[in-house]
Amino acid sequence: MPAPAPRCLLGVDIGGTFTDLVAFNLEDGQITLSKSSSTPNDLTEGIRSCLVKSGVPLTEVATFFHGTTQVINTVIEKTGAKTGLVTTAGFRDVLEIGRANRPQNYNLFYQKPTPLVPRHLRFEVEERMTPDGEVLVPLTEESVEAVIDAARRHGLEAVAVCLLHAYANPRHEEQVRAALSAALPGVYICESSDIVREWREFERTSTTVMNAYVGPRVERYVARLEAMNGSLGFRGSFLIMQSNGGVMTSDAARRFPVSMVESGPVAGVIGAAYLSTQLDEPFLIAFDMGGTTAKASLIEHGIPKTTPIYYLGGYADGYPLQLPVIEVVEVGTGGGSIAWIDETGALKVGPRSAGAEPGPVCYGKGGGEPTVTDANVALGRVDAARFLGGEMPLEAAQAKAAIRERIAAPFGLEVEEAAAGILTIAESNMSLAVRAITIEKGYDPRDFALMVFGGAGPMHALSLARELAIPRVIIPTMPAHFSALGMVLTDLRRDFVRTCVRPFSGDAFQDLNALLTELKEEGRNWLRAEGVAPKNIACAAFLDLRYVGQEYAVTTPLGGDTITPEHRDRTRAEFDRLYEVRYGHSFSEVPVEVVNARVIALGKGQKPAFAKLPGRGGPAAAAPIKAARRFVYYPGLGFVECPIYDRRSLLGGDRFTGPAIVEEYASTLVLGPGDAAEVNEFGYIVVHVEGAA
Amino acid sequence: MSAPQAAIQELAVNPVTLEVVRNALIAIVNEMTSNLTRTSYSPIISEIKDFGVGFVDARARSIAQTLAGLPVFLADLGPPIADSLALHGPEGLEPGDVLLSNYSGVNGQHLNNVVAHSPIFVAGELLAFPAVRAHWIDVGGKVSGSLAHDSREIFEEGLQLRSVKVYRRGLPDQDIVRIIRHNVRFPDLILGDMRAQISACRLGEKRFTELVARYGKETVFACIQRIWDEAELLTRRAVEAIPDGIFMAETFLDNDGVNLRQPIPLKVRVIVEGSEMTVDFSEMPRQVSGPYNSRGAVGAARVAFKCLTCPMLPANDGCFRNLKVVAPEGTILSADENAAMGWWMMPIVSVIDLILKALHPAIPEQVTAGHYANISGAMFMGVNPRSGRRFHIMDPEIGGWGATSKHDGMNAVVSLNQGDVHNLPVETEETTYPVRVREFRLRQDSGGPGRFRGGLGVVRATEALAPCEYMGQYERVQAPPWGLAGGGEGKVNRVTLRRHPEAAEEELALKLVNYPLQPQHVVTLSSPGGGGYGPAWERDVESVRRDVLDGYVSREQARDDYGVVLRDGTLEVDEEATRARRRHLGGRDQPAAA
Repeated sequence: MPAPAPRCLLGVDIGGTFTDLVAFNLEDGQITLSKSSSTPNDLTEGIRSCLVKSGVPLTEVATFFHGTTQVINTVIEKTGAKTGLVTTAGFRDVLEIGRANRPQNYNLFYQKPTPLVPRHLRFEVEERMTPDGEVLVPLTEESVEAVIDAARRHGLEAVAVCLLHAYANPRHEEQVRAALSAALPGVYICESSDIVREWREFERTSTTVMNAYVGPRVERYVARLEAMNGSLGFRGSFLIMQSNGGVMTSDAARRFPVSMVESGPVAGVIGAAYLSTQLDEPFLIAFDMGGTTAKASLIEHGIPKTTPIYYLGGYADGYPLQLPVIEVVEVGTGGGSIAWIDETGALKVGPRSAGAEPGPVCYGKGGGEPTVTDANVALGRVDAARFLGGEMPLEAAQAKAAIRERIAAPFGLEVEEAAAGILTIAESNMSLAVRAITIEKGYDPRDFALMVFGGAGPMHALSLARELAIPRVIIPTMPAHFSALGMVLTDLRRDFVRTCVRPFSGDAFQDLNALLTELKEEGRNWLRAEGVAPKNIACAAFLDLRYVGQEYAVTTPLGGDTITPEHRDRTRAEFDRLYEVRYGHSFSEVPVEVVNARVIALGKGQKPAFAKLPGRGGPAAAAPIKAARRFVYYPGLGFVECPIYDRRSLLGGDRFTGPAIVEEYASTLVLGPGDAAEVNEFGYIVVHVEGAA
Repeated sequence: MSAPQAAIQELAVNPVTLEVVRNALIAIVNEMTSNLTRTSYSPIISEIKDFGVGFVDARARSIAQTLAGLPVFLADLGPPIADSLALHGPEGLEPGDVLLSNYSGVNGQHLNNVVAHSPIFVAGELLAFPAVRAHWIDVGGKVSGSLAHDSREIFEEGLQLRSVKVYRRGLPDQDIVRIIRHNVRFPDLILGDMRAQISACRLGEKRFTELVARYGKETVFACIQRIWDEAELLTRRAVEAIPDGIFMAETFLDNDGVNLRQPIPLKVRVIVEGSEMTVDFSEMPRQVSGPYNSRGAVGAARVAFKCLTCPMLPANDGCFRNLKVVAPEGTILSADENAAMGWWMMPIVSVIDLILKALHPAIPEQVTAGHYANISGAMFMGVNPRSGRRFHIMDPEIGGWGATSKHDGMNAVVSLNQGDVHNLPVETEETTYPVRVREFRLRQDSGGPGRFRGGLGVVRATEALAPCEYMGQYERVQAPPWGLAGGGEGKVNRVTLRRHPEAAEEELALKLVNYPLQPQHVVTLSSPGGGGYGPAWERDVESVRRDVLDGYVSREQARDDYGVVLRDGTLEVDEEATRARRRHLGGRDQPAAA
């Protein structure tokens, strides 16, 4: 019997607690979801049980998108490979010296993160390149032999190679790598120039070392997954999420495992970026609020903002990775955040969270400390009886009692006042994350729309938008599962970056054009090798430019394939403009220099066509059906009898005004007085925020 | 003095409003800071973070201050504003005014540090000032950058501005702008940085006014009062946990840059009594001839105090109510207005360390042994033959941190006076300037031996590829970074020159101005390590062996200082020889027991 033709896009995201599955049927637009607990000992177990629950056979899947915490777990648990490092003679301590900064001004006991390669496993080879990529000291075979002996003696499982100025000329790194690969079969070996060709030796070394450290474990993981896929008859393409907002094949994942570090949080941002184009909303703030954290990212012209460097484990205590990563600013506020009174008698919300166990008081699973969710329940914003579609009724009385006892009574407040206060503080904390990506970067929130997702996002979106004067809020369909959905919208992507410090002027254009052409060719060849049809390949070229004498550069789109006299002026003007946005001034008279050339290579995948929502057809039915009414507390108004809408019953073109509540599975939207909602043709709710304009 | 518990119980504000106002004050200061770093023209502000940003109230008390910026600018925005209030009187200040102050008599720092501040009026009442202190890359004076190593008077160090209105009622005073323009070396950059400071102040005025409009003046200031009281409560509790007593420590600097043979003794007395701490600088030396003076007594005491009380709590007036600083006029930390102050931070960094040392007997687990305590770096300057443009390389010196009662000191970090300051990557340095870095590594055996080892300094060898000049300014060679509880001292600064690959190494003076270098000359700086904690012969034998395998410690130092003898070849521990050696070392310092 012939197997049915693949007709599904499948996304499976392994998170710290849960493994989520989303399947999109390309024929009928149907979306299937399933969820199961993550299984840290063998993560593929969680995937299997998700597949079984969903009933989606792998034989019907055309493309399998996968995001995993494998890399981050390896680093947190310190269970990576026994790794060695090869450096230029005189520089084996680059990894340990780092940048010498102390990010905590007054903490006498601050410790730099422990290097992943201890000093006795850091080996030097005789060689030296100049910044121009000329060989100053040729690589000596004896010094490479000594490294090989040491690697054998120490039983290394992985070796990273990072030599000075290898971004300018990778020849010595390639020679070291070739010699090591030949002599040390089974040992994972990677060189910096294959991963990142940018200057700054510490950040590049740290990235290369991380790649080697997680490499062997990722290799085994991918092999296990592919074996599972094979045994389930999967014949489509298997793609793995990267932190840059793209996917890569499993072969690329074996070679660049470090690029998988932050795959989970970026999927929702990719989804938001896709909708940004669809909705013609070029400036979006993507806001994701779950149980323990809230995350904000910025999208401009349909493209998520990336940051050229990322600190795995946080800025103060983490390892820098010199790879483009979608910028996500996180605060420790979510539905499970606990309200408490600190030692000075001040009311605080978070960052401690009740988590899934015991969870908020209203779950009735033994939690005693009131949370943000408990406050929502106490104020009637969440319907205790219909939580999760009635699967899990909540204990509203317990929630109120906990708030009364722990918060309201000590301050002499009414329960509702205290509960509303908890929400106000939580929203005030979350506004700091949105401020960090907008106001503090030179963007005005009034120019943006807020796209909210995550289970708790819609509950707080309108207050947050009002606080920051954001004029519109957009709630996509299935907000609680939006991140998983984002995965199946992801394109193949690789960023090719090359440091090439030159004046941005006529003399250097020939070199730069040759380099850009080379990078694009590299990108196209890579995508072709990954099986992408030429019509689906897109390459975009950028130059990192800066004013002569300054340190940091601004990534500027080239607006063409190569630099021509017309482009030159346009690129220069664009650089001045971007600089002005970011720094408030520009210097059109000051000469500019190039630091890096960049090419983003995209292999566009098949996109699902989202089903459109029918309208009511005719003015008679312009008002939506009111499912029910209940009393909901609004600060300043007290309990207000509110219409409750069932999201499933909303149709395209429906309009209504707050105060109102929209309920759906795993999420609740709260509209304040005057907030004007409209359902668009795809079923997204667009709200015009009262008092924000 | 109000009892802290009482202060906390009178909750004059709604707890929710308090949190929202608290977040708003943090958000305003962060927004001012990012506005400053985004709009400043010089990397010294955007990259080296040589600034302080905050708010003070109408009585010049600190409301809030950014946690970014240099540690040493901790809550030091009050004095210049108090001076402006005294000079102009509240009625002499008007909405839209912006004042500048770097006057040595109240700021007491090098003149490069200029404070812009502007009064906020609401309904005709003066409520507060946003203030931005930032390092101008030049304020005139006898050398480029204004930081001469050998100045003897403040007048050699540049232009002084004492509460000068650069804006009056919203309009720039072009006379003042011209005075600045024609007294500094890089006027376009400096006026650009000044505008960045002013625009951060303007933003602060706007946001603070909005906050007052939204919540009301009474509520906002009740919240501020409450935030101060909370900080006071927490810092009082921290000091209460320190045993009462009078504690002293001393060290000395090599010289003041002018009288090169004259060491400068530094002595501090710390008195802890209940929840109060007094830092007494009465025994500090008289002000010196060279540029090592300051009026930094309060600042230095506050940095040490902050490290010991609530290091992660945002700084404000309440954090220092239980700190008293005694500094009679005329000492090196309370110098008169005419004293040279160009290198004011060099003594300060040792003074902060000294306060920690003094308190070691009281709180042995809360302090670190001495760190490398230098604020400088090798400077190379000349004309880049590739571009024809002048260059000036300044890479901050990094060194070893002091060990603690539980950890080894950190290797290779910036000093107590610096925080989130980064060193210069070798690849960037070589691409941008006509130099080549020959090696950059940890300095073996530089960490003070101890049960916990001091952090290691570094060795950085720089080769000139074109004719240029070298300048250096290094300290604390005669009084190395100290150990605690029997721990050993860190190694000290050393600078050498090799004129060509076959030549012998020559020692260079540690304070050197405009020393000419030719291509092939290699200057090697070896930076100090931190002090150790506890007797070295008590260090776990396996840790010592690991240090030898890792090359942090040589076999010789392992044997001589740690009493750990390793066998040739295998580097296994020779148990018997180690026992004997450790007995000998232990006995050496305990003659009475022998």
